[in-house]
Amino acid sequence: MSTESTVPKRRYWALNGEDARRMCTAIVGGLVLAIMTGPEGAISDPTYGVKTSLLTGHVVGYFIFGVVLGCLLTYRAKVKDGTWRRVRTARRRTMSERVTAFSSIWRYAFLAVTTFLVALISLIFADFSGPVTRNKMSVHVLEHQFLYTRTYGYLVLAVALWFVVVNQVMQLSSFKLRSLPRPVLGLSAIIAILLFSLTSDPFLPARFSWRALDPHASNSLFHHWTTYLWLILGLAVTISWLFRRDPIDGAKPARRSRALAVTPEMRIITYVAAGFIVFEAPKYLSLYWQISLYQQIGVFCLLAIGLNIVVGFAGLLDLGYVAFYALGAYVTAYFSGALPLHPPFQLNPFFIIPFAIIIAMLSGVLLGLPTLRLRGDYLAIVTLGFGEIVYVLANDWTQVTYGSAGTGAITNFNVHLLGINYVWNPVNPLSYYYLMIGILIPAIFLFDFLNHSKVGRTWAAIREDEVAAQSLGINALKYKVMAFAMGASTAGVAGVFTAVKVGHLFPNTFVLQLSITILVLVIFGGMGSIVGVLFGAIVLQWLPSYLNFHSYFGYQQADLYLYIGALLVVMMIFRPQGLVPSRRRRREILDAEEGLGSADALGAITQEQPS
Amino acid sequence: MFNFLLQGIFTGLIFSLVALGYTLVYGVLRLINFAHSEVLMTGGFAGYFFLHYTIGNHQVPSSLWATIFYVVLGVIISGAGGTVAALVIERFAYRPLRRRNAPKLAYLISAIGASYFLLNLFGKEFGRYPVATSQPFNNHVVVTLWGGQITMYDLVILVATLALLFSLDRIVYRSKMGRAIRAVASDMETASLMGVNVNRTIASTFALGGFMGGAAGFFLAINQGVSNNMGFKPALFAFTAAVLGGIGNVRGAMVGGVILGIVMFTPIYWLGQPWLEEVIAFSVLVLILLFRPTGILGERLGRTA
Repeated sequence: MSTESTVPKRRYWALNGEDARRMCTAIVGGLVLAIMTGPEGAISDPTYGVKTSLLTGHVVGYFIFGVVLGCLLTYRAKVKDGTWRRVRTARRRTMSERVTAFSSIWRYAFLAVTTFLVALISLIFADFSGPVTRNKMSVHVLEHQFLYTRTYGYLVLAVALWFVVVNQVMQLSSFKLRSLPRPVLGLSAIIAILLFSLTSDPFLPARFSWRALDPHASNSLFHHWTTYLWLILGLAVTISWLFRRDPIDGAKPARRSRALAVTPEMRIITYVAAGFIVFEAPKYLSLYWQISLYQQIGVFCLLAIGLNIVVGFAGLLDLGYVAFYALGAYVTAYFSGALPLHPPFQLNPFFIIPFAIIIAMLSGVLLGLPTLRLRGDYLAIVTLGFGEIVYVLANDWTQVTYGSAGTGAITNFNVHLLGINYVWNPVNPLSYYYLMIGILIPAIFLFDFLNHSKVGRTWAAIREDEVAAQSLGINALKYKVMAFAMGASTAGVAGVFTAVKVGHLFPNTFVLQLSITILVLVIFGGMGSIVGVLFGAIVLQWLPSYLNFHSYFGYQQADLYLYIGALLVVMMIFRPQGLVPSRRRRREILDAEEGLGSADALGAITQEQPS
Repeated sequence: MFNFLLQGIFTGLIFSLVALGYTLVYGVLRLINFAHSEVLMTGGFAGYFFLHYTIGNHQVPSSLWATIFYVVLGVIISGAGGTVAALVIERFAYRPLRRRNAPKLAYLISAIGASYFLLNLFGKEFGRYPVATSQPFNNHVVVTLWGGQITMYDLVILVATLALLFSLDRIVYRSKMGRAIRAVASDMETASLMGVNVNRTIASTFALGGFMGGAAGFFLAINQGVSNNMGFKPALFAFTAAVLGGIGNVRGAMVGGVILGIVMFTPIYWLGQPWLEEVIAFSVLVLILLFRPTGILGERLGRTA
């Protein structure tokens, strides 16, 4: 009997108590969302918020959302446990199989639809990157997008990226894009690059310029010549791709089962595209986005990959992470002479960085040593307390920190060397952004290297089974403290960057909420995976900045931490490994759920004595 | 100085109440319940609404019987509020993870998420600024001892807290529920094999701790008013108290709270800076962890609670 014949002819629609429970949970979840996005209440009328959320039209959308979610969850669970079967799912088909299964008309329809979607997305993206002052996303403005050459640049970029994906799928399947031979692809890539370089020419009239209406984009230190660098790099890659040797027959990609096997060309193109986005694209953003790119996204990426060492790599929990960030910032203030205590020598912020690292690391070691000697979960609450203490000291110890009035002015980054005199100017956020990239990329590579080195393997061993690791002679305490101190020092560096940019420190920057926010960035993206953490940091830091202008679904800025708290719980219940998990961490968590290993390093170093 | 000492003792009693919540949950699940501060806050709000809708802006009741009536009822209502909050937290932040046997890290993260969610939900629904509570009794000075003043509030705390601590002690060590809690704390699997309903026992542990936390919230609400982040600092101190007394040890938590209160408040007499309280409490926490991690009365994780 084949598997096909065991599939029941009629679907079995009976719903049991479990389904009812699932449905109720989804609906209640929808209602909770309605309350979360509803109006603010006040203590004089305590039921106002809930009443208005649940008894007005506001609730309808969320109720429908809950019902749909419940249906989907029930359906998925039914299919998963085999009570219901989809008729033709003998096994799951890969993406390439799905594409090849289309008949030829549908193939082109599929291409047309995806092309349309890509174009629409790129249009919206082009609109985002425009000046803030315009009212975005209205149909009216979308029409006018075509007046700006910027839009065509995004269109071509999006189509090129789309080709990377589609071509990959096509390569795996037998389906070839006959209508688009390779020279056409190459030509379009060259046109794209030309468009990019041409339209960023500042001497073109604004209407043709890619960064139309944005007066600040030409202030950048690295403006003109990098565009040509990218042009040359892009051309080189494109030409090498056009004239590459075809793979020898039979030398198939190693893992065909993965829908997107990475070929070397694809990797290079991805790197170039990523590099382009990271280095070039910010120049065409509006001032608001340039500022939040540094202050909201860049700094938080650094903080998140630092916390990732503690939470993701070592499996510890640090709830006072912001304390080290504050330490770094106040060290900067101290060496700038912005505190009541005068330093023995004032320093250029570049030279403060090592001090910040050392001080944050030392405090990390001092805090971690007594705590980690015991149970790992004590670390969480000790760091929570430490975060609070640092805040209290910053806020109340006026003799040292000026208290809540804020510190004096902090020196900017500056270079006076070999005839180069350059002072970073807060008016031009891009100059800070490039500095941040300059520290972020080495940090990413360093931490990735660490994770794959002996240290990283030791962390993994401690996470998976601490007792076994210790029995192999691993000094677990040493490696835990090391991870903790390294995370702390990263936060210290981030503190320097923030302090220099904002110029004056106020203690209420460094509240506990910030620690939780950084934790969410790590959890959302996927603890233990650097790509995931960066993804989480970028998405979750971008979103509030964006929503500040556009209030969708009743989003209110004051409720940000409400959503963050809910997100933490939901992530832990439904997807503890994060959205872009590292393969190892994901398996650890799944193994731990089966009772194998522990997936964290929160156990006791000294075993509990049975009494 | 005696004033500070007394303040320490009475505040310490409140810490003891809160610390019980930590210690009970830690004893059973081996987890720090990060959401316990929100239990405190929920209790505080329950107490606020009770007093607001009964006394409101009217005359502060002066007779002794009225005081007893309002305090007893207030403690019960606040405790019920705390219990509900603790049960909600257990149901939504802990039980789904327990069903899946999630790693410990996941519990801590989901608890801190639940704590943040509740904190901000209350802030959203009831405003984000502190509000003064209607007073259930006239807070006059009753006795003056060596320059230290014992007010009505202190007396109420003393009597109510001692009654609560005593009854909790009885429940944990003498009742059937207490025996179940101790059995689960000692060995969850064996207890479940012996016919103890583990889920219900864990819920009852949360409920007990929640009741104590809610009652503590009531006293804090009378004294300082309510706000959505009223629970954070007392909860942090209470955790220190629980570690000081020996985590997992119910009597340790009671003793630890009072000792921490004394250690925290008395030095302020000489130092003069009230914000140093927190610094002292935190230093105490780190010092205990350094020198006597099992606390004063010793941890009793094996045969906890």
